Parts: sequence; C-alpha cells; structure tokens
Amino acid sequence: MKNALDRDIPEQIGDRTLRPFQGAFGTTPTGRKAARPQKTVKLGETKVLKSIEAAIEATGLESGMTISFHHSFRNGDYLVNTVVDACARMGINDLRLFPTALFPVHAPLIEHIKSGVVARIEGSMNGPVGAFVSQGGKLKAPAVLRSHGGRWRAVEAGDVHINVAFVAAPQADPYGNATGIKGRTPCGPIAFSAVDAQYADKTVVVTNDLQPYPVYPFEIQQGWTDYVVVVDEIGDPGSIASGTLKITRSPTRLKIARLAAAAVKASGYLKDGFSFQGGAGGISLATTKFVGEEMEKAGIVGSFAMGGGTRLLVDILHRGLVHVLLDGQAFDLDAIASLRDDETHVLIDPGHYANYDSRGCSTYMLDAAFLGATEVDLDFNVNVNTHSDGQLLHGIGGHQEVAAGAKLTLITVPTLRGRLPVIVDRVTTVTTPGEVIDAIVTERGIAVNPRRQDLNDRFVRAGLPVRPLADIKAEADRLTRPPRKPVFGDEVIALIEWRDGTIIDTVRKVVGWK
Amino acid sequence: MTDDISVGSDNKGDCRVTFLPAAPPEVEVKTGSPELFRAGIEEVVTETLSLFDRATGKIVVEDQGALDYVIAARVETAVRAAYPDVSPITPGGARTPTPRDRLRRTRLYAPGNNPRLLVGIELHGADCVLLDLEDSVPPAEKFAARILVKHLLATIDFPEVWVRINPLTTYGMDDLAEVMRARPHGICLPKAESAADVTALAAELARIEAAYGYNPGTTWIMAIIETSNGVLHAAEIAAADPRVAVIAFGAEDYTRDIGARRTRDALLYPRSRIVAAAAAAEIQASDTVYANLEDEAGLIAETEHIRDLGFVGKGVINPRQIGPIHRIFAPTAEEIAEAVKIVAAAKDAEERGIGAIAIGGKMIDKPVLVRAQRTLQLAERIKEELG
Repeated sequence: MKNALDRDIPEQIGDRTLRPFQGAFGTTPTGRKAARPQKTVKLGETKVLKSIEAAIEATGLESGMTISFHHSFRNGDYLVNTVVDACARMGINDLRLFPTALFPVHAPLIEHIKSGVVARIEGSMNGPVGAFVSQGGKLKAPAVLRSHGGRWRAVEAGDVHINVAFVAAPQADPYGNATGIKGRTPCGPIAFSAVDAQYADKTVVVTNDLQPYPVYPFEIQQGWTDYVVVVDEIGDPGSIASGTLKITRSPTRLKIARLAAAAVKASGYLKDGFSFQGGAGGISLATTKFVGEEMEKAGIVGSFAMGGGTRLLVDILHRGLVHVLLDGQAFDLDAIASLRDDETHVLIDPGHYANYDSRGCSTYMLDAAFLGATEVDLDFNVNVNTHSDGQLLHGIGGHQEVAAGAKLTLITVPTLRGRLPVIVDRVTTVTTPGEVIDAIVTERGIAVNPRRQDLNDRFVRAGLPVRPLADIKAEADRLTRPPRKPVFGDEVIALIEWRDGTIIDTVRKVVGWK
Repeated sequence: MTDDISVGSDNKGDCRVTFLPAAPPEVEVKTGSPELFRAGIEEVVTETLSLFDRATGKIVVEDQGALDYVIAARVETAVRAAYPDVSPITPGGARTPTPRDRLRRTRLYAPGNNPRLLVGIELHGADCVLLDLEDSVPPAEKFAARILVKHLLATIDFPEVWVRINPLTTYGMDDLAEVMRARPHGICLPKAESAADVTALAAELARIEAAYGYNPGTTWIMAIIETSNGVLHAAEIAAADPRVAVIAFGAEDYTRDIGARRTRDALLYPRSRIVAAAAAAEIQASDTVYANLEDEAGLIAETEHIRDLGFVGKGVINPRQIGPIHRIFAPTAEEIAEAVKIVAAAKDAEERGIGAIAIGGKMIDKPVLVRAQRTLQLAERIKEELG
C-alpha cells in the first residue's frame, strides 16, 4: 500500500499489521496504555545482586525475549556489549534488542547477530551495525527505527513489550533510585530509560557508583526497579561528546548558520518569550550561537531553549538570554554540571517533550528549530536515516518531534558534501515529511516551503536570498555528475516509523544501481 | 618512455591522479562510495582525456570528494606533465567584463592550489574574489595550481574574479597564458614597482586578448604595491595604462622591505601616497589585508582608519572579514540624508542658473558635491547588490 507520501509500505511484517503514514497529525490513538505485571517489594527485601549474570537469572530472561538500553554513554557505552555477551555465554539467543541507539562501539553485536544471539533490533543504528544490517538477510525481522518520542509511545502503547530493561546508571542507591548526572562517570540524563523502567517486566539498574539511599534526582525510581547490580565500569564518559560539538570553522557552514540566524530574526518569532531548539551538529551549533547574539543585540529574553545540552546552550542560559533550558540529553560535561547545579536547567524525558500519544509536548511550544539532514528533496522531505547509497546511517533522534512542533523549522545543510548532492529529487528515505519543514537554508540561498508564503514574504522583505529549491539544486548539480542511485529490492531492511507509530517509509535492500 | 606521473593530493575535496603513459588505456577510480561516484568520475576523466590528441595510458583517480572541475584539472595536469608539448585545454564559457569603477570594498584571497578552500568561494559576498597563484602556492605546485584555477574560472560564474599571477619575470607569463583561457575579469600584478612593470603586463594581455579572440582592453589590471620602490612610483603605476582599475597596498612585504614594524604610523605614508596616486589617475585604491582573523575589533578599527584615509576597499583572507568591512564602507543614514540635501541644492542651483551652491546660507564647494554624489552612488549600489 502507499502512504500519504506515496511511499510503498507493506501491509504486514511478521505478525505486525502496519499502519501507513497519514500526515503529521493524521492519527488519533484509542484504547488504553499497556502496563507491566503487578508486584510488591516487601519490607526488608533487598535488590542488590552480585553480577549481570545473576540479574539475567533473577529476571528470568530467556531466549526470544526483548531487552532494552539507553544510549546516554553514546560511543562510550559498555553495558550493551556486556549484557549481550553474558546472554551468549548463558545460552540465551533469539533476543530482540531494543536500545535507544547503537554506536560504533557496539560493533561486537555483529558476531552475535551472526550466531543468532541477537535476532532483531529495534533502535537507531549508527555505524558498523547499521552497515551490517543494511546488507539484508541478517536479522529475523526488519529493524524498526523510531524517534525519541516514537520509542516512548511504542512502549506505552504496548507496541513493544520489554521483558528486561537494563539501565546503565552513573549513580544509584541500593533501592534502585538512579541518575545519570552524578557519580564517578556521569553521562547526562538517563531518563530515556524511564519508560523502559516503568513498562518492562523487570528493570535492572546497573551502576558503577553505588551510594547510600537516597540518590536523586529520581530519573529512575525505586518503585520501578527490581534489581541493582554494581559493576566496575558502565561506560566511558569521555565518549559522550560524539565529535559533533566544535563550532564549525568552515566558511560555507558558517555562512549557512548566519543565514539561518538571519532567517530566525526575519521570521517575526524573535521577540520576548522566544523559544528554540539548538542541535549539536556543527551548523546547528553555530546557528545557536548566532541566534544568541541576535537576542543579545536586540535585548530579547526568551522563555526557553531545548537541547541536547551543550556548553553553548548553558552559556545562553547563564547569560540570561532564556529563562529555562530543557534537556533530555547532555553532549558535554558542562551541560551535565549545569543540569546538576542550576535549577533553571531542567532535566526532561522524551515522554515530556516528544510523545505523540500524550497530553502535550515541549516541542509544540517551540518557536524555532535548526535541524540537519543527510538529504532533502524538492518536496521538502528530509532524510536523516540513510546515506544516498541506501545504507542505514543514523537514528531519527528528536528530528520528527522538533520539526512537527516548532513554528519555524529550518533545515540547515550544505548543498554538497564532497561530490555528493544533498538536495535531491526524491530522498532515499523519508524521516520527516516536508509538511513540517518551513525552509531549507543552504550556502546558496534559502528555499521556503510553498506552504509558508507568509515566511517567504518576510524573508524577501528582510533582503534574504530566497530562491526556489530547484534553482539551488540546479546550481549545485552543475558541479558534479549525478551519483548513481541505488535500486531497491523487495526485502525490507528497516521500517521508519513516524512519531505516531505509522510507517513513513521503509529501507529496502539494495539490489543494483542505476 | 615517459615516467609515471602523480598529481593532486589526498586532501578533502581533492583527488590524486596518477598517469601511467606506458600502460594500456584504462581508467581506474578509487573512491569512498564507488557505487555512487565511480561512473561519474570515469565520465569526467574520459571527457577530459578526449580533449587531448595524445593521452593513451592508464589513469588512476583516488578521489577525496573532488568536484568535476577539480578532477578535470588534475587529469589535465597529469597529461601535460607527461607530454609537455600537448595543447592545453581551453574550457568554454563566456564572461561579461565588469565596469572599471565597480564596487570593490572587499577582495577575497583564495589559494589557487587548494580545492577544499576554493569550494563555494564565490558565495561569501566578497565584491571580488582573487585566486592566488603567487604567495600561497609553492613553486612545485604552480603548474597544477594555474590549471586548477583555469578550470575553476570556467566553471563558476563569479560576480568579479581576479587572478594574482606571479611576477612576469618568474612564472607570470605561464600563469597568464593558462588562466586567460578561462578569462578572469582582471589580473593582479604583485610587486609592481614601475610603469614599465604595468605596461609589460598590459602588452601581454593585449596580445593574449587578440590571440584568444577577446575584445581588446577588457581585462583589468590591479597593481599591488608592496615595496619601497612601488610606493615611490605609485603615481606612474596608477597612470601607466587604461587597464589599471585598482592599485592595492601590500603591507606585509612593504614593512619587510623597509625594515619597519607594522604600525599604523609606519603605514601612513605609503597608504596616503597610494590613495593620492589612485585619485590622480581616477582609479580605486584598495588597502592591505588584516591578518589577525580572531581580532574583529582590530579589523574594524583598521578599516575605519583606511576608509577615512580614502581607500575604497580592503583585502580579506577569510570570508568572516567581509561583513564587518562592508558595514564600514556603507554610508550611514545621516551621510545619505546630507548627501541628498547637497545634490538637491546643486540641482536647484543649476536649474536657476546660479554658480554657487548653498545650503542654509553655507556655501558648498565642488569637492563636497563630488563626495555627496559618490555617497549616493555607493548607497545606490549597495541597495542594488542587496536586490
């Protein structure tokens, strides 16, 4: 069947009936949320276990079950590999992994996929695991990629039932309260796991820093936690800064960032009470800096900014340019310190800021957002998931919810990466639909979505270089022969969910080139 | 037997092209995403080779994300290094000459041998882009750089583009023969020290324009004055030929030459002399670059200073310097209002047949009127530029 973006979606994958994407706000949930089994921990019972193996045994983890993880240690995470290795040793296989995201450090999973320990993965795949899965025929079922809010929703809705949630906790107490912003090796908020911890059959907190009761803030709560395991190390916090955090020095990228900041200024949204989301990519970071400068120059005080938290956003908070900073993730140690020490820097979870099936999202309160893309197309659709060669490359992150929520969503991209065009006729994979994208900002000009004539007029009045997206594309295309395009077969490698659980696109196996 | 040749680099945005003239004809492409790029790169190589009558052999391209014109330039470089007597490529593409007194508040220098730094160089809003073959290109790379610059010139539609060649006594003649095949708007002559330096270049340009079938006299000259001799002969350099549109100051070489430190005082004399020479020849004077990228306050202070001295433009070494300089050269609202008043008063006086111009009883001298007219022209052009 075709979805609202004319993408081919299978009706059924295994025992799952797929719902096609019906527009950004096209669906209304029904029924009730899922729930975990009842249980009580009685007075005097203890939760501390000696090892991961002991926890695996205690939780009753068996072959065919689903285990979940958060990604706050990013490329420094030790827990996913440790748990899956232990399962393999204990003869457990056919697992479904439900991480928020995997990184290059998780490359050892490839062997576990080959040996059948890991049969399915539902989560973002950055790096070798994604490349491996992209070859097709590796997993028992297609991977499922969900946004931050989409993952939360899927757990609450019962789309994904977690048997055991493993929560890497930089600090925890013996009763199962835990946080990511304290401890010997803080990794930033771990509240991504809060939904796992509340809905999984069993929740295991794994910490390298056990402290006397009570450990707070209660990102993970005693009432959710079945077991606590103490290990030597859970991750390398040096790796949370994923290399994306330097403000770019590239004149081209700086130009894009300046144009984006000028667009924000011209948009009419930049006034007292202004709110924005600043990403952690090179261009987004520079845009955030320049928008901060515009606010300072104009004497504007914003209501709030959203991260992933970075030193730059912390600086914007501390300069008084916004009243509040909301962060569900931290990308550097300054952001972690600020989350710990400053009550106006507020820790949030994806259920709070991004969940479609909820009574409201922080992203709906955003004025402006600056997001990246691997590709954008002439319908303003955005791809952040696959490379132009069809390989899985990145997760969705909060792209969908921020774009859907912000009044002004700017995609800031160079027109060329090396000899690869970024603006294409039709994106390889749709992550975020053009209907929620307001403008594409490139070094060759700004293309405004035809749905936003009002914005177009404002930009033109401000003297910004507004051009049709096709013209910008043509200018860049003159510099390189068009790359070949992958030809996709029938085999579905991955499902891309829109944040409401409908299928916005599929990633299929590459069978040839044209 | 010709030796194997390797040109280009492994830097991002570049490619390394190895030419093995003795091997059977073949194109081999190594690139990060071969499925995506190999076919396109092969096409560029094959098309480039087809422009030579003698280019059998094996070509190996190791691509680091090079654009088509970079690949074409590297292939041409390799072939010509193997066969020095083969005819150079003359890429197509027309260019409309620019007015002699065009707005030139900034001239952005870009090293002619570094593809990565050349990508998008036309997009930063500099009034002129200046592709450098001189100081930023080591002698071993001059050959490859002038071919790269030629292909860049033929590919990009610049608002105004200049090439800084080497002195005619070193590599300058070869630079000219190459880059004029893709016709920049103008040629920058470094270390100009006399009228003869300029007329030698003008003569060569006239010869090339005739040979390549361009309209005569349509290639501008920017003489760069960066020695004591140049400063002393600024007036004759400025007036040496109608092609000279700009004289520019190069402070680094000048201070080295005279043994001065780069202080505002040390530069006052050459700057003033250059401005006077330009004014006398009715051409533009453009100031030296400000080298400390991190010091925007210093850039602003120096630009205000040289604007006040009478310069109409300044060199820049990084796009981020363009905005501040353009802001400084933009007339203020008060200046524009004042200029409007003066020009209106002059028009009024002319219509009424009165010789003297006065505003509120105050007499307006001719130079004041000229300045007011210039202010309005500048404001008008800046407005046009902003669309």
